[in-house]
Amino acid sequence: MSDAPLNFRAPPHERPGDDDAREARHQVLATLLGAYADGELPAETVAQIDAHLLGCVHCRREVALHSTLRERLQREPMATASAVLRDRIAAQIAATPLVHTEPVPVAASTQPWWQSRVVRLAAVLGVALLTATVVMRERSAPSSARTAAVSLSAAPLLQHVVQDYRNVIARDLPGRARDLDAVRGAVPFPVQPLHGDGVRLLAAWSTDLNGEPAAVLAYRWHDQLVLEYLVAEPVFFRHPSVRAPIAAGEAVSAVSGVQGMLAWAAPESGAILVGDVSPRALLALRAGETGH
Amino acid sequence: MDDQQARFQALVIPHLDRLLRFAQRRTASAVDAEDAVQDTCVKAWLSFADLRDAAKVRPWLYRILRSVLSDVSEKSDRRRQLVDITRLEQAHEELIGGDTDVVFSEVAARLDSEMLVRALEMIPEDFATAVELHDIDGFKYHEIAEIAGIPIGTVMSRISRGRRLLAGTIVANRRAWGLGAIDITRPAARSRQGGDRTPS
Repeated sequence: MSDAPLNFRAPPHERPGDDDAREARHQVLATLLGAYADGELPAETVAQIDAHLLGCVHCRREVALHSTLRERLQREPMATASAVLRDRIAAQIAATPLVHTEPVPVAASTQPWWQSRVVRLAAVLGVALLTATVVMRERSAPSSARTAAVSLSAAPLLQHVVQDYRNVIARDLPGRARDLDAVRGAVPFPVQPLHGDGVRLLAAWSTDLNGEPAAVLAYRWHDQLVLEYLVAEPVFFRHPSVRAPIAAGEAVSAVSGVQGMLAWAAPESGAILVGDVSPRALLALRAGETGH
Repeated sequence: MDDQQARFQALVIPHLDRLLRFAQRRTASAVDAEDAVQDTCVKAWLSFADLRDAAKVRPWLYRILRSVLSDVSEKSDRRRQLVDITRLEQAHEELIGGDTDVVFSEVAARLDSEMLVRALEMIPEDFATAVELHDIDGFKYHEIAEIAGIPIGTVMSRISRGRRLLAGTIVANRRAWGLGAIDITRPAARSRQGGDRTPS
């Protein structure tokens, strides 16, 4: 607490009959006497209260009351968690995959400028080609190289995505690439596959995530299966743990077990990439990089 | 059990008894209290990465437990017996402000746990929680501020006022609880250093 002394001494000019002022100081004191009895006040305030208590039986009683109640409450017996409860907790912990976050290094912005891929391209191809490259990659390049790691427990949408992903990868893929048009007709938002080096659309289908329609695009990416979930804007922006980083110009990353996830705002929708790879790798996929 | 689970259990399991006691005072049944503690442990496990300082595990667990219990309390009428605060403050003032000795310690000594729990249920939740976290659960003021998400000055005033209301509750109910034989209004003996209320 603050070390600043609290002034509740009577001013020297106070008239003896100024009961209101006395009472006001007593009200201030009343909020301090508990902390005084508990040893939670700075020494200077303690000294002031000590001096006051010498002449005030009311406050001495108040302090005694605080001490009496505290000592009585301290004697309250401890509960005992049963062995059954302990076993239940241990079993549930063991059955619950640990969800943890993984800080994702910023991909492009942390590189020295002379190592930037864009700059290297510009050096080789010139400014005109650079401009064309930027335009061509607009769909797949991150709007921002920054990412914000979130806990899955704080982002229900990402939880639903990773659960659906685990169900999907345990079986045959439920769709084919040629189903893309049918998927586009099944969801109320645009569905645009990712393009990039080593990225190939394998299948598309529609599903629902906790009752909300979603489009799923399955990609082969350097022999890895990666799924992209697209959901409507209201679903994507529903939870603040996703909304806040997006508003700050960041993509959202999360890790659950061996699965990494990367989410970003897409036109009229939100996109979530998920695969058995790190969010950093997904960032590279999205940016059209080639390495994992 | 993997390393992470072992670390979690080593940090959390030693606090189960305290968590359960806190939950028992805020739930309608022992089963509800156990469920709340279990939910707390699972939530703590899922956000284990958020615990940056192992030394702060106990306030961290209480913070999660309070969040779990706030959901439970919405469905419970546990605190419907709240009494008029003005009445409690008057009872406290009679105890402290009159021309009487402080014999409250004699009343307190005869209180059993059930009476204490009932008294705590009768004062507003925020005050009761601050008092309990300090006096029963042994937290320091700055830890209570962290658990409750309030400034330390608020902790100070809640504990002070909470104990005054608690004393008023006990005094107001002493006859109903079979403590009526204790006379709290006997004439005061002169105190050693000034028996009058004379604020300096």
